[in-house]
Amino acid sequence: MDKLQIIEKLKSIIKPYVKEDTAFENLNENTDFISDLRINSANLVDIILDIEEVFDIVIDNQSMEKMLDVKTTLLIIETKLNEK
Amino acid sequence: MIGNDIVDLALTRKESNWKRKGFLDKIFTLNEKKMIFASENPELTVWNLWSRKEAAYKIYNRYSKVRAFNPIRLECFNRQMNENVFLGEVYYNNQSFFTSTIITVDYVYSIAVANKLDFNKIKSIDSQYIVKDSNGIPYNYLTNSPVSISHHGSFVMKIQLDFES
Repeated sequence: MDKLQIIEKLKSIIKPYVKEDTAFENLNENTDFISDLRINSANLVDIILDIEEVFDIVIDNQSMEKMLDVKTTLLIIETKLNEK
Repeated sequence: MIGNDIVDLALTRKESNWKRKGFLDKIFTLNEKKMIFASENPELTVWNLWSRKEAAYKIYNRYSKVRAFNPIRLECFNRQMNENVFLGEVYYNNQSFFTSTIITVDYVYSIAVANKLDFNKIKSIDSQYIVKDSNGIPYNYLTNSPVSISHHGSFVMKIQLDFES
């Protein structure tokens, strides 16, 4: 899976939880889930669970701590995919 | 130091499925899960403990400037319960925060303080006195008092630590 495919999958995962559509349309690596997309923090748990399901990976608590923006989340997904 | 967090129960029933597989495991420790399933109303206990963690995290974030999404590392302990007010403690990184939580039919609301005596110094604050620093942390620009804001669904709670009282 290349980076673009990962980004597309990630976008479809986070879309249902987004409260700021404009920020979502302009999504880039620096987009923050909470301050830009206004995602409710309880829904961050859903995003983590969706990522685990869609990519068939396990997100440990240490990784989850850092998953507040697109850039870090992509990095963690890539790392976990490479470990498979 | 203060933090607060409100959960609009009607909205949360729409937005979150706490029964989803794996959901509780990402947020709660084994002891907390025991508290949830031993309680009369597991749903309310989920949001009760969640709001305490969020409120305590806001204090940590305020002084450390560290952002992290690590609810499972903030562990809640019950201390006392009178009527609908739950008093508790949240442990995180070898620190202890004190929490007070009220539950109504419409919402769950927690306030966390670093110093127990600060519970008596909490007052509400009007938006016109609130500004945010470069880290996005709110304070009262007239008195420099720390402010915490929580907004969810139909509810907004804005509080400050009033040093005068």
